[in-house]
Amino acid sequence: MSTTRERAAAQKRYSTQKSVMDTVDERFGSSRFLTSVLDKIFPDHWSFMIGEVAMDSLIVLIVTGVYLTFFYVPSSTDVVYAPTSGHVYAPLVGQHMSEAYMSVINLSFNVRFGLIMRQAHHWAALIFLAAVMFHMCRIFFSGAFRKPREVNWIIGLTLWMVVMLEGFTGYSLPDDLLSGTGIRVIYSIVQSIPLIGSWLAYDVWGGRFPGPSFIARLFIIHEFVFPLLIIGLLTAHLMILWHQKHTDFPGPGKTETNIRGSRIWPQYALKAGGLMMLVSGVTFLLAGLIQINPVWLYGPYNPYTVSAGAQPDWYLGFLDGSVRLWPHWEFRSFGHEIANPFFPGLLIPGLIFTIMYAWPWIDKKVYNDYGPHNLLDRPRDKPFRTGIGVAYIIFFIVETLACATDLLANNLHIAFERLIEILQYGAFIGPLVGFTIAFKACQALQRTDAHPIQKPLGGVIIRTADGAYHTLGDHHGNGHDSHTNGHTADSPDGHDAEPDGHEAGGAEPEGHEAAGAETEGAAEAGSAGADRATRLGRGR
Amino acid sequence: MTTTDDLPAVPEAGDETVAHGAASGQPERVAFGRNPRHFGIDPGEPWPDDVPKDQDDTHWRFENDPAGARRAELKIAFCWTLTVLASIALAIVYIDGANTQAAGICWGIAFLGLGIGMLMWARDLLPGHEVTASRGHHDVCAEVDRIAVAESLSRGTEPMARRPFLFKMMGAVGGIFGLATIFPLASLGPRPHTDLYKTDWTGGVRALNEDGNPIRPGDIPVNGILTVFPEVDGQPSTDALSPTLLINVGDAPFKIPPSRTGWNIGGLVAFSKICTHAGCPASLYNVQTHQLICPCHQSTFDVLDDCNPVFGPASRSLPQLPIGTDAEGYVIATEGYQEAVGPGFWNRG
Amino acid sequence: MTVDVTSVRRSHRLLAGPLALIALALVAGSVLFATGGVAHGQSDLVSTNPADITAGELLFQAHCQSCHGYEGEGGQTSAPALTDVGAAAADFYLSTGRMPLNNPGNEALRHHPYFNTVEIRQLVAYVNALPEITGTNVYGPTIPTVAPLCTTDTPPNPNPTGCVTLSEGQRAYSLNCAQCHQAAGSGGMLSKGNVVPTLHNANITQVAEAMRVGPKPMPVFSPSDMSYQQMSAIAHYVQYLHRPANPGGLPISHFGPVSEGFIGVILGFGVLWFATRMIGNRG
Repeated sequence: MSTTRERAAAQKRYSTQKSVMDTVDERFGSSRFLTSVLDKIFPDHWSFMIGEVAMDSLIVLIVTGVYLTFFYVPSSTDVVYAPTSGHVYAPLVGQHMSEAYMSVINLSFNVRFGLIMRQAHHWAALIFLAAVMFHMCRIFFSGAFRKPREVNWIIGLTLWMVVMLEGFTGYSLPDDLLSGTGIRVIYSIVQSIPLIGSWLAYDVWGGRFPGPSFIARLFIIHEFVFPLLIIGLLTAHLMILWHQKHTDFPGPGKTETNIRGSRIWPQYALKAGGLMMLVSGVTFLLAGLIQINPVWLYGPYNPYTVSAGAQPDWYLGFLDGSVRLWPHWEFRSFGHEIANPFFPGLLIPGLIFTIMYAWPWIDKKVYNDYGPHNLLDRPRDKPFRTGIGVAYIIFFIVETLACATDLLANNLHIAFERLIEILQYGAFIGPLVGFTIAFKACQALQRTDAHPIQKPLGGVIIRTADGAYHTLGDHHGNGHDSHTNGHTADSPDGHDAEPDGHEAGGAEPEGHEAAGAETEGAAEAGSAGADRATRLGRGR
Repeated sequence: MTTTDDLPAVPEAGDETVAHGAASGQPERVAFGRNPRHFGIDPGEPWPDDVPKDQDDTHWRFENDPAGARRAELKIAFCWTLTVLASIALAIVYIDGANTQAAGICWGIAFLGLGIGMLMWARDLLPGHEVTASRGHHDVCAEVDRIAVAESLSRGTEPMARRPFLFKMMGAVGGIFGLATIFPLASLGPRPHTDLYKTDWTGGVRALNEDGNPIRPGDIPVNGILTVFPEVDGQPSTDALSPTLLINVGDAPFKIPPSRTGWNIGGLVAFSKICTHAGCPASLYNVQTHQLICPCHQSTFDVLDDCNPVFGPASRSLPQLPIGTDAEGYVIATEGYQEAVGPGFWNRG
Repeated sequence: MTVDVTSVRRSHRLLAGPLALIALALVAGSVLFATGGVAHGQSDLVSTNPADITAGELLFQAHCQSCHGYEGEGGQTSAPALTDVGAAAADFYLSTGRMPLNNPGNEALRHHPYFNTVEIRQLVAYVNALPEITGTNVYGPTIPTVAPLCTTDTPPNPNPTGCVTLSEGQRAYSLNCAQCHQAAGSGGMLSKGNVVPTLHNANITQVAEAMRVGPKPMPVFSPSDMSYQQMSAIAHYVQYLHRPANPGGLPISHFGPVSEGFIGVILGFGVLWFATRMIGNRG
């Protein structure tokens, strides 16, 4: 439906684009490469976007972080808060504090948009870690870590660790009472390392706690060392993903050697850009509306005061919780001791992380599957792996809850001694129960649901008013029984008014594979919407 | 919206003829759905079975529904108008005092408007949905290539293997030289030696409160608690291991071990404030049960029993400071702490 | 709170009726009259009016003596003797509704006050008079006054009114109070299930009283180890904590990283998770 004028305009645009690309190609020989870039396909499953949410949060963090760096003073020098102009925070006037703390108070009260940038930075960090952990769980439960992606799993885990520490160093930069208490605990954990602990602590901190210049060192680590690591690892992570291509859930028409999704240009680029805007929007809404880390209320750090309710940021809660739950065991003999914080602070997390790092190889052994995979598992397809994952998550949740024992005890009106006991037992029983339930659930789902790849063992056939036959369990042609997904079949071919992943409002289920329509060939005639005839690739 | 079929000289889909460098000298344009380059297939390779031919990359949602397209366009325009308005509002907010909440709302609306508009554009007005392509063979090279890389590698490793002595020496060099490069890190801090055993408390040192004033034993009432610091150059010491708690237990049954007689002044006792678990100030005082609780990990110490830990992860009691009074009646330490203060470490014998 | 019937019966048994009570009150009143009103740390906030003392005594007999003894000498339960606690303690416990206690074994927690302000004044007057009435003559802290808040951020020099600043309050609060009551006064937990209450309901007098009285399980802060200046500053700072500056937005209970984590993960990430569900497909 285009006019001659429109054709001419399109011709002109194409010529212009071609000559631009030719110019680039004459210098870089890049046409092949750029074609593959623009044509690249990303599968559209929603859970594949969580990693992107993480990356978008990182971009927010970097942009707001650079801004904060212009105002932050990384110095432990003692100063007196006595501003002579601008907005003053009265309850701190005349008090001694570090220059770092004062610069943060100044930024929060005396710099326009300083507080919102600071809060955006902190909220983005919380969202970042949530996305990273959700992404990690998605990779785990779908088996995306299998060959050839084991190295990317390792890079991803390392990214997670570095990002957690980056967050910790970041919120410790203001040198306030709450974060300084956390630093004190970390010092003690480092000090408790056998053989080298006190030497390492004196080296890193420059002496006994709190050390003469720890804020400056934290600054270097947070601004320089860890960001370099993160950007380097993330680049490797994305390059590997790019090269190996994204995995996808199985479905009709999907094989180990093909990939289905949206083209980067223009579809995915705009979707990704839109998601980036959403992440920023949510972050800034939180940053303006909900207060986070009000360091002025905590006061400047000193080693002899503390506030009740001393917790780290949520993503480190599991470490603090494990330190609270670990019993009072210490090992002393022959004039040496391994102090208590070493076990829950380093040894046990170290063991747990080692298992996580080794998981791709454990998984290979358990399932005797050493081959490469581009198609993912559904969690129910691998009950043991899913059970272990659920057990890990429950353990993590119990440990994270344990970091708030004093607050929870107060609000639940039970003594913290009882609560800690309950959580200590829960840390063992919870994962066992979780594993068993998840395992059984997976097995049950496998039995009752039509398996996406194998032929259905049996099924229910319905006949619709227009004479078409449909098998329950294969509507979308992607292996999902739309009934078990909670959809009701209110159109003959099972496509719903609110199909997966598309906004309500009668949207045509674009994202659903043509292959599905193909199996329902005869049903097309009677189905709703003449648009079906224009579905992908079915000829014009 | 125009599609690629408005462009010149594109054969119809389904046309099997594919022209490579035709006689005219210019390559004829191949049908998009048949062009292997757009589907991850190397041009020389046969078309794989699992990549459908003649896929229509240009299909978009409202291509046959101009009214729908217009509606979609209006929706997007609406979202982006919100963005524009919110951005202008943001400038006004900045000038007018930069209220954080107003800024957050403006920024949030601006971003969300932009983002939702972009997403709607992607959904409603753009082509490129649900395309299937080949994954190609880029993740695994052909055997000939693998042989080649092994040959290249052994070009270097073979000579090394012929010189096992040098090879082993290189290992030693790398290891020892590597350790040598770490030495500058040792300058980051001093060696601890016996430093962790020391605080600023020694015999005769006065106890000062946070404001730098000395204390008399009678100043602290029964069931009272006060943080004190050793006097250094007339000022309260800033050493992190020195803060000490003076607690007056009155006539509650306080157990005095034989080695610690004289360490208290009546009901007044002094214990280290630094928790022996992880170093937080163990400063919550439950007067009813005479227990000191640390807020960090809930270690609980029984003040009446040598501040022994009765709950929580701490496994050592809080060190007690022997106190007395000086000639003017102010509280002093009669000796320093008799054990290392604070959390444990390897050499804490 | 019901009237304790047994106490009435007890008084019937012991002193045969209101006549004896009035007689006692007259004795108490005359002692007080003779001494010209108790001068030990007396403040205007405590009544020394004999009528108040008498009324307070009647209230005491009706509501308190079953635990605290006939003349506040302590009882069979763990209820302490009141003969030396002072007016501040009585006012604190009564005005915060901690007393009367439903169950002698309970922790005394803030409650809607059982008595109105007049009755509290009367009971306080009586408890304040107990040292003289019982002859113990040991006086606990009286209801403290509080120095005014300075009008500028730094105290003037010289400081004739002895005004205090919020900054002095914050510093003293951080050292002495924050570890139990939390940096923003949200409260916390002690051992053996003892609750540390939130300070958001305490008025300035109650805060000052609590410091001087040390209502168990809280320690005592007497004028010798916490000066009038410091105590006043803390009291004013706690009032500030009722409505602190929250320039960043909703304070979400001031609990810190725990509530921030909940919001960040469930609200922040949750919205974005939902967004990916809308953008992507579920195939």
